Amino acid sequence: MARLTIESLRKSFASTVAVDDFSLDVADGELVCLLGPSGSGKSTILRMIGGFEQPTSGAIRIDGQDVSRLPPDRRPTGMVFQSHALWSHMNVFNNIAFGLKLRRLPRSEIRRKVEEALELVGLGGYGHRQTFQLSGGQQQRVALARSLVLEPKILLLDEPFASLDQHLRERLREEVRDIQQRLGITTLFVTHGQDEALAMADRIVVLRNGQCEQADAPDIIYRNPQTQFVAGFIGQMNFIAANVEGGTFRHPHVSIAVGVQDGPAVLAVRPEALGLAATDGEAGATVLRSTDFGSHIMVDVELADGTRLKAMTSPSIRWERGARARLVPAAYALYRDNRLVDSGRVEGRATTAASLDVVRVTV
Amino acid sequence: MADTATASATGGSEPAIGRGLKGLLLVALPVFLVGWLIIYPIIAAIVSTLFVEATDGVQFSTASYRFFFSDPYSRANLALTLWTTGVCAVLLLLVGLPIALYLRFSTSRFADLVQSLAIFPMFVPSIILSYALIRTIGPNGTVDILLNAVGLPKIPSPYLTPWGPVIGLVWDNLPLTVLMLTAGLAGISNSAVEAARDVGAGPIRVFWHIILPRMGNSILVTISFTVLGIFSSFTLPYVLGPASPEMMGPFMLRTFNDLYDPLNAKTQAVISFVFCLFFGIFYVWSIARNQRSQSR
Amino acid sequence: MIRTYSSTSGRFDWTGLAFTILLAIVIAVPLLVVFTWAFTEVWRYPSVIPQKFGLRFWDQTLSRADVWEALSISLRLSATVTALSALICLPAAYAFARMKFPGRDLFFLSFLASHAFPKFGLLVAIAAIFLQLNLIATFWGVVLIQLVGTLMLMIWIPVAAFQAVDRRMEEAARDVGAGPLRVFWSITLPQAGPTIFAAVLLTFVSTFYETEGAWLIGAPQIRTMPVLMINFINNQVVIQYGAVLSVILWVPSFIALMFARRVIGTGAFAKGFGA
Repeated sequence: MARLTIESLRKSFASTVAVDDFSLDVADGELVCLLGPSGSGKSTILRMIGGFEQPTSGAIRIDGQDVSRLPPDRRPTGMVFQSHALWSHMNVFNNIAFGLKLRRLPRSEIRRKVEEALELVGLGGYGHRQTFQLSGGQQQRVALARSLVLEPKILLLDEPFASLDQHLRERLREEVRDIQQRLGITTLFVTHGQDEALAMADRIVVLRNGQCEQADAPDIIYRNPQTQFVAGFIGQMNFIAANVEGGTFRHPHVSIAVGVQDGPAVLAVRPEALGLAATDGEAGATVLRSTDFGSHIMVDVELADGTRLKAMTSPSIRWERGARARLVPAAYALYRDNRLVDSGRVEGRATTAASLDVVRVTV
Repeated sequence: MADTATASATGGSEPAIGRGLKGLLLVALPVFLVGWLIIYPIIAAIVSTLFVEATDGVQFSTASYRFFFSDPYSRANLALTLWTTGVCAVLLLLVGLPIALYLRFSTSRFADLVQSLAIFPMFVPSIILSYALIRTIGPNGTVDILLNAVGLPKIPSPYLTPWGPVIGLVWDNLPLTVLMLTAGLAGISNSAVEAARDVGAGPIRVFWHIILPRMGNSILVTISFTVLGIFSSFTLPYVLGPASPEMMGPFMLRTFNDLYDPLNAKTQAVISFVFCLFFGIFYVWSIARNQRSQSR
Repeated sequence: MIRTYSSTSGRFDWTGLAFTILLAIVIAVPLLVVFTWAFTEVWRYPSVIPQKFGLRFWDQTLSRADVWEALSISLRLSATVTALSALICLPAAYAFARMKFPGRDLFFLSFLASHAFPKFGLLVAIAAIFLQLNLIATFWGVVLIQLVGTLMLMIWIPVAAFQAVDRRMEEAARDVGAGPLRVFWSITLPQAGPTIFAAVLLTFVSTFYETEGAWLIGAPQIRTMPVLMINFINNQVVIQYGAVLSVILWVPSFIALMFARRVIGTGAFAKGFGA
């Protein structure tokens, strides 16, 4: 039962600012993912919560108590490291029992708790093994058990699956999510893999250059990205840069009526929201390649100005290389200076002539 | 996040200044010993040989140096030392380089054996080596016995000639030479050699154009280290070498202990420093450069 | 020599065989000769094989008082120097590996000074200082001069050992509630342990065989085993004394050194000297 509050956290190293005015509120039992490219400050935030870095300014509160000046050994946090950081001179049992021994628990109690923790991560009976006798996935499970056995208020996971292969990663993230929900433990999870974040998190915090770009539930992050960076970072996204003139986003290939002031803007359309219609003549986008994924076809097209786009189309229509197509967006978002300024659906699939009233596609 | 790794020592709980002070305190004693027992004696030796106590106070004087260079015996000792050092360095390279090249490029089962044998002398103290060499190449030693057994004449024994220390010093310094050269060769990738072979270069051309240019530095480091070790070596020249002229090591010991003449012993030491200055500077410089490239 | 590189495909490695035989002769023969002498009672020129084997000279060597005295002094010296060296160098090595402080790089490189000057010249310069301090021919004078020789080894190898310990292991221990000292004792030291143990062993053995400093500073009162060996070589008519002494001195340390070598690895040796 713990609540984590981070208030205007800042961390600057000699020449760079790693974390800049970061605030976050994590509710009890919530799993929040910190997602961002490398160097975005996500690990630094986690390490400050764990006590391994000193914040330059700001506060970290756990259940209202400011812990930001406490050393790591006196914080109610448990951390799972990227490289699992198991102590190779101790066996599995002693790795997990080390923290309990420091707390001077009776021996029988230690044995019971370690067995429970091993059962929890699916490694019952592995206590006598040496850590180097385990596979990568098992080592990471031991690291998880080592943190959980102390019943921390906050569980911190620092890219715990980064060193594992794709298949194992998917299995382990389900297990971790399972355990987390069963224990109801407040969890902060750092990753640079969007799949991981989308699959596990109650809430995703997208970071860039030490600042929060957006913090929302996964579906909102995907469907309603508030910044151009988030739009591009999560999932696939097509960007078309042009000007808004007289309330219309004008580009030689696509024009959309938008409710924003005139000026430069970037139109963002997901591949699944971008339709293609066959067209004759020299105008239109040129098909570069079409890849059949079975359930859908991904068509790469190039605009006259060199912009490349991806469109997800139904497998019923085949697109030949060099064919001409016009763009039929069904939904869009419009960004100016990284901020969302407009978004909406384009009414009616633009395959009929009537839709040309709303969407004027220049041919 | 390289910065985050170096920034926190044992958890970021203490202020940086306190940690800096703690670090300085921990290294204080060994650093003090370096200052007191290495840096200070060297400076003191230079100063005390140039500023000598005379009847009317301390005076600048190069008398002890002038004596050293005008005394034929001292000059002969210095010449012998330079000759021995040079011959040993050349011999070590001639013997060590082929072994190192073989170890680097061979994949056969002999490689491990050759390496073990080449490194073995590292585990033989030079005093035991001296004794072993006297029994082996000394007069009526094993070599003489074997030659006599097959009906050949005795060799002129190198024992108590300048070649005695040379044989001992090459034997003794071979392991480090091979190790350092092998370490230098490790930096040359197989693909670089394969590419050269691919365009038609023979073994000698590969050695001359691909390998030698890339290991020039490690050859120089090896030579520097060897020269520093051999120039003032003591045990082997003392036991195996001629009594007159003698190498700088035994010469200094005799001047200091038997003649009880610290001034001239110090002068001889300072002259040794000067002759090895270039190698010492190069050695430190190249290690400092390595350290820096590793820590970045 | 490069030929061997392309001859991996089954051609017999004649180069390797030649190196092996040549090295085996040059390296092994002198040592075999010493071994043979140690177990020989009579070996007159020009016989290839000793006339009489036996252990008589082992009894005689081991009953000499000067041998036992030298052994005792050598052991006391080596133990003192090694303990002192470990005591002052290991904390310093930890600081170099894990802490940031002003002058860190310069201080670290300063230990090279002991290798950057011709050794005996340096010893004479130190001896001149000891002359004024009345440390000549004293136990502690020899301890000090041998201590200087161990500094670089005892700093550089442990620094590498401490640096090789994954920092996250230490952080994980802090995370489960261990204080800084507890982390050092339970995590860092056991992890770096084998390498540090090897460094200590190397220090002990190399101090035991150190000859120049012990003679220059210690003579004539402090006579260590190597100094006694030089005496035997120069003044002793009975050849076997030296041979027996060599075997006694060499075998245990040889085993220790082979162990140290396995732990540290040959690469670290070369790196320790800057290759």
